[in-house]
Amino acid sequence: MNSLHDSYHRPLFPRGPGLGLRTLLLMALALTLIFYDMRGDTLKPARAWTSYALTPIVWVASLPSRLIDVVRGIDSRSTIERENATLKQQQFILSAKLSKMDALEAENRRLRELLASSAHLPDQVLVAEIIAVNQDPYRHQITLNRGSRDGVYVGQALVDAHGVMGQVVDVAPNTSKALLVTDPDHGMPVEINRTGLQTIAVGLGDERGLRLPFLPSNADIKDGDLLVSSSLGGRFPAGYPVGTVYDVKPVAGEHFMEAYAYPAAQLNRGRQALLVWNRGVQADADAAAADEKAAAQDREMQQGDDTGKAAATPAAKPDAAPPPKPAATKPAEATAKPPATEKKPAPATRKTP
Amino acid sequence: MSRPSPQAVWAGYLLSLLCALVLQLVELPDALSAARPLWLPLMLAYWALREPQLPVLIPAFLCGLMLDVLYASPFGQHALGLVVLVYIVVRLRSFFIIFPLWQATIALVPAWALYCFLMFWVDGATQHEAEIWLRWLPALSTALFWPLLWSVMELIRSRRGGDED
Repeated sequence: MNSLHDSYHRPLFPRGPGLGLRTLLLMALALTLIFYDMRGDTLKPARAWTSYALTPIVWVASLPSRLIDVVRGIDSRSTIERENATLKQQQFILSAKLSKMDALEAENRRLRELLASSAHLPDQVLVAEIIAVNQDPYRHQITLNRGSRDGVYVGQALVDAHGVMGQVVDVAPNTSKALLVTDPDHGMPVEINRTGLQTIAVGLGDERGLRLPFLPSNADIKDGDLLVSSSLGGRFPAGYPVGTVYDVKPVAGEHFMEAYAYPAAQLNRGRQALLVWNRGVQADADAAAADEKAAAQDREMQQGDDTGKAAATPAAKPDAAPPPKPAATKPAEATAKPPATEKKPAPATRKTP
Repeated sequence: MSRPSPQAVWAGYLLSLLCALVLQLVELPDALSAARPLWLPLMLAYWALREPQLPVLIPAFLCGLMLDVLYASPFGQHALGLVVLVYIVVRLRSFFIIFPLWQATIALVPAWALYCFLMFWVDGATQHEAEIWLRWLPALSTALFWPLLWSVMELIRSRRGGDED
């Protein structure tokens, strides 16, 4: 008994459940957890609490890279002066461009009003700092220092100075997780800027960037084409650059072509990202859908006495010439109108491919 | 050399698991991140071989859950992998410890590969497809780090043991 320590106690039950049995139980538990995690939101609170408790570990793990940043931040005076000069020049150019942009934006708004389109240039944005990058090389996720307290919502678009970065997938009170466009789980509607062709860009999960699957074999797309975000689906603000096509090839044995694109956003450089509120468009779409549903119910209920009115209203407003302010821009106004007219706006203002 | 007290062993155990968790999270350059060694499996295997009286299964499961939260992978993925790995290491302990260090390094490669395979399999089963050959790189880098980890841990233990006893 020499090898046993003084404080060693003989266990009450000399043999607990065997090692194999315990392993099996834990494996079953893990598989159940995976199953429920994939199926629903029941495990969300557990995840949130664990992630809250692990914040110090994340902070400790971020120390080395912060130290490197600090060391890199030590610059000589001449470098800073040079940088300052460059920045001033850049700022001058940008402000000139911005003033031109203001005029263009105003013009754009006027033209859009003429066209009676409901799309607005999104203007509500929030600068967020990237505080962590997922270290699993096959999950392209970042953590931002803004959460539900700042009004961030799931599905919100994330852009940087060069293009779309991704979208928010998980919101905690002070932080949020965003999926980058290059993650294999991520897909987004895009438009080819040159031709207006609408398609979908799926992440590849590695440095090759984005894939545009299932293109018709006669689609007009070639190297160097710019992809911009499309507002189909209502998640992303339209018109932000998404990527540049670098390869188009037919798929062996299929009737489709595939294109590959590099993301436009500088995904692994920089520490800031811009959260864009596109909720207006989405809320409009939701409100229009809800109105449509309500209208359908109303019609079912009032079919007996209200047929004359319902039949008369669509005739009064033919959808070929919508009014300057369509119902989709103001959901509150739309709800006040008689039910039969609200079927029209949501599909009509959406651009279809 | 006398054995360190159970409290010291426990403190070292928990501290080393925490270190492994942090090492698993430290940012690496993009080129290296695919080859990041599997620190948690390494550490758990070390303790399972070195101190057989310590419970490793439950800590492995809990560490796996933490890793799942930190990596935003399906809840239970890494827990499953770690539990299976630890089971194999504990079961075959008598086989692993008769080897000298460099042979044990090679003998453990299939265990790391099994862990990589489990991660790959759960990813595939949950429609998170990223199948590239680089996925198997951690098995190799982990094997390379095994002798280093073993020697460093032994060094720490001998010094601490000498101080305390």
